[in-house]
Amino acid sequence: MSDWIKRFLPFVSLVVLCVLIAALEPRFLSSGNLAGVARQTAVIMVMAMGMTVVMVSGGIDLSVGSVMALSGVMGALAMANGAPVTIGVAAAIAAGAVCGLLTGAAIAVLRVPPFIVTLGAMGIYRGVALLVTDGKAVVGLPSTFGYLAEGHLLGVMPVPLFIVVLVGVTTHFLLVNTRPGRYCYAIGSNIEAARYSGIRVSRYQVLFYALLGVLAGLAGSIESARLVTGQPTAGEGYELRVIAAVVIGGGSLAGGQGTVIGTIIGALIMGVLANGANLLGISSFAQQVVIGAVIVLAVTFDEFQRRRLEATSA
Amino acid sequence: MITPGSALQMRGITKSFGGITVLSDVGLSAAAGEVHALVGENGAGKSTLMKILAGVHQPDGGEIVIEGELVRFARPADALAHGIAMIYQELSLAPHLTVAENIFLGREPLRSTRLKIINRPEMNARAASLLSDNGFDLDPRKRVSQLSAADRQLVEITRATVEARRVIVMDEPTSSLTTREVEELFRLIRELKARGLAIIYISHRLEELESIADRLTILRDGKVVRSGAWGELSTDELIRHMAGRELTEIFPPRNVEAGQTRLRVEGLSLEGKFSEVSFEARTGEVVGVAGLAGAGRTELVETIFGARAADSGEIVLNGLRLDPARPDHSVASGMALLTEDRKRTGLCLNLSLARNLTLANVRAVLRGWRLDRKRETEAASEYIAKLHIRPPEPARTIDRMSGGNQQKVLLARWLFANSRVFLLDEPTRGVDVAARSEIYRAINKLVEAGAAVVMVSSDLPELLGMTDRILVMRRGRLVAELDPRHTTQEEILKHAAVEESSVRERAGSEDVLQVAVGQNAAARE
Repeated sequence: MSDWIKRFLPFVSLVVLCVLIAALEPRFLSSGNLAGVARQTAVIMVMAMGMTVVMVSGGIDLSVGSVMALSGVMGALAMANGAPVTIGVAAAIAAGAVCGLLTGAAIAVLRVPPFIVTLGAMGIYRGVALLVTDGKAVVGLPSTFGYLAEGHLLGVMPVPLFIVVLVGVTTHFLLVNTRPGRYCYAIGSNIEAARYSGIRVSRYQVLFYALLGVLAGLAGSIESARLVTGQPTAGEGYELRVIAAVVIGGGSLAGGQGTVIGTIIGALIMGVLANGANLLGISSFAQQVVIGAVIVLAVTFDEFQRRRLEATSA
Repeated sequence: MITPGSALQMRGITKSFGGITVLSDVGLSAAAGEVHALVGENGAGKSTLMKILAGVHQPDGGEIVIEGELVRFARPADALAHGIAMIYQELSLAPHLTVAENIFLGREPLRSTRLKIINRPEMNARAASLLSDNGFDLDPRKRVSQLSAADRQLVEITRATVEARRVIVMDEPTSSLTTREVEELFRLIRELKARGLAIIYISHRLEELESIADRLTILRDGKVVRSGAWGELSTDELIRHMAGRELTEIFPPRNVEAGQTRLRVEGLSLEGKFSEVSFEARTGEVVGVAGLAGAGRTELVETIFGARAADSGEIVLNGLRLDPARPDHSVASGMALLTEDRKRTGLCLNLSLARNLTLANVRAVLRGWRLDRKRETEAASEYIAKLHIRPPEPARTIDRMSGGNQQKVLLARWLFANSRVFLLDEPTRGVDVAARSEIYRAINKLVEAGAAVVMVSSDLPELLGMTDRILVMRRGRLVAELDPRHTTQEEILKHAAVEESSVRERAGSEDVLQVAVGQNAAARE
């Protein structure tokens, strides 16, 4: 029974929210508006998939926003110096991967709590992004780069939406159908039991943080394509939105729980909330209050579930 | 049971966890000024009973009466308010606070009651005088994290003496103390008796009980089997009750000869836990490891498995030296550890039965990159049938299964991983009788198929019934090797429990047992 609620509550909330907003403001359902929601949440969603993996394994990464900015800047610098778009995007992804590897290694090898390591990493990567650009936006990017954010595949599907679907399907497959995915749930459920089962826990932890780094690099490319500049200040505060998407979607801060589908719904709930508030003329200040409250509610719900689980198995 | 002047009476206490009855209709009374010894094998329910008295757990049934007044403890603070203090087996101090801060935690002497400003000099002075009154040589300003395990125990004892006004519970208080400190503790206990406190004292060590106990209650499988004045019970009876059940359980026979050496442990040491341990386990044999709680048995098997790093010594598996502290290599080489603490190191509680079962050998259910769910479910079903796991649902979340069935799943995890060397740490702890015999049968099948098994157990009948040799550990050392066909529970316990010093000083090998229980045994004759 409680499993059932846990699984469907985010989805039901999203539907209720959409119906409510559509009733108050029919423009919400226009295809232009919905595509806009998809575009705005794409960057968050891409990172949230990686965050789902990290959080299922019992970790957390506060540095994703900074990694996104740093890798976006690195890709932009490559392109500004004459590299083609593909190399630029590859450079961004590689930069993200390196950041994720370093963070993961610090957590897994030095065994420092992820919250602390990534809190530090958040400052470090942001600082590096500001240092290499001297705090200024990187300009002079090739015009074709914008396709990544604004283009349409086959003339209908926004490219960012396509990327979200691709990343979502891949991450879902990874978590559900592969050995690293299985280990991810096992490590998050009980890291000691995983270790005692012969799983090289630290190696997989590094892998999961590196994967999140790759996706933050990809998100950084989309973001700089959207802005057509490499912004060292991009993605500030995104880490909280990304984590919120996972948590609202049923992921647990304690690890062992979370799904890609849930996370997508979580990100959509936040996107729809923001969009609906805009359409209804609610100030962005009030929106922050509402989104914050939703996060607290979702985590409270998660806590109650966990306590009930402990009470029944004590 | 109702004694006039009883400081404390517990009546008809019943408690179960997750459907497993831990205590049923247990009564215990303690009079002011006496030491009541509470004994019983591990898992008999002693600690649970005391946690109920301390307000940590709430009983499902029964009542607690303190000086004629019926009380209910919803939380530890309620028990403290009634003057009941407890010294826990697992230490419960705040490591970053000082000795004095720990002793006065929650009742700090204040400089100003209104502003709640702590009077630190007074607190330190009072702590110093309490410690020296107790005969403990400790600096009250020192941080607890800098103290040795023994000194922490002394702080814990001192804190309890401040808290206790009626009853003080000591759960294995001497497990980390030196002989001199134990003497100080006994002097203190006599003082507390003179002050009119009731003391409930849990211990496995006979010679300790001999010198302080006035009364005795023996628990077994959550029930009181004997209660009365110390000395009413003969030594034989006492030891048999402490040792556990009679050999009534039928252990399935096994038909196999020991073959070549599979596991060799050579001079293995881990500081503070065990030292210079050497032994071998061969194919087709079960080697038992006996010992009291804290003797280092769990640490030993965890180190062999690679979950802990040894300080010195080596582990040779199938003729090859095993890399230290690499459980993944151990598993890959066919070693299995069925851990003592299912929840902490065994189960992934929010994963399904099938996923827990295949965890150590996920490779076997892969088809290329992909997990083959069908094959996984089939594998789970196969072991569910083999071990009679109930309920037989591969997709069921494992936290909703009984302890016995969880244990069968964990054993199946290693069977599925094709392990050849099994380290079984308390394989039947918290497991019901039906599941026990399934586990015994599964162990026998493995051994007949050529596996080597090392079995740590506190259940002496189990060791006698299941093993081919029994190694006895005491305080981190192997002290004896016994043949289960020619030994007794009493003999095992004697090797495990009796202090070496008292053996050396006072007796030949003949009658060590009598020394252990001293005058009591003599009085009987």
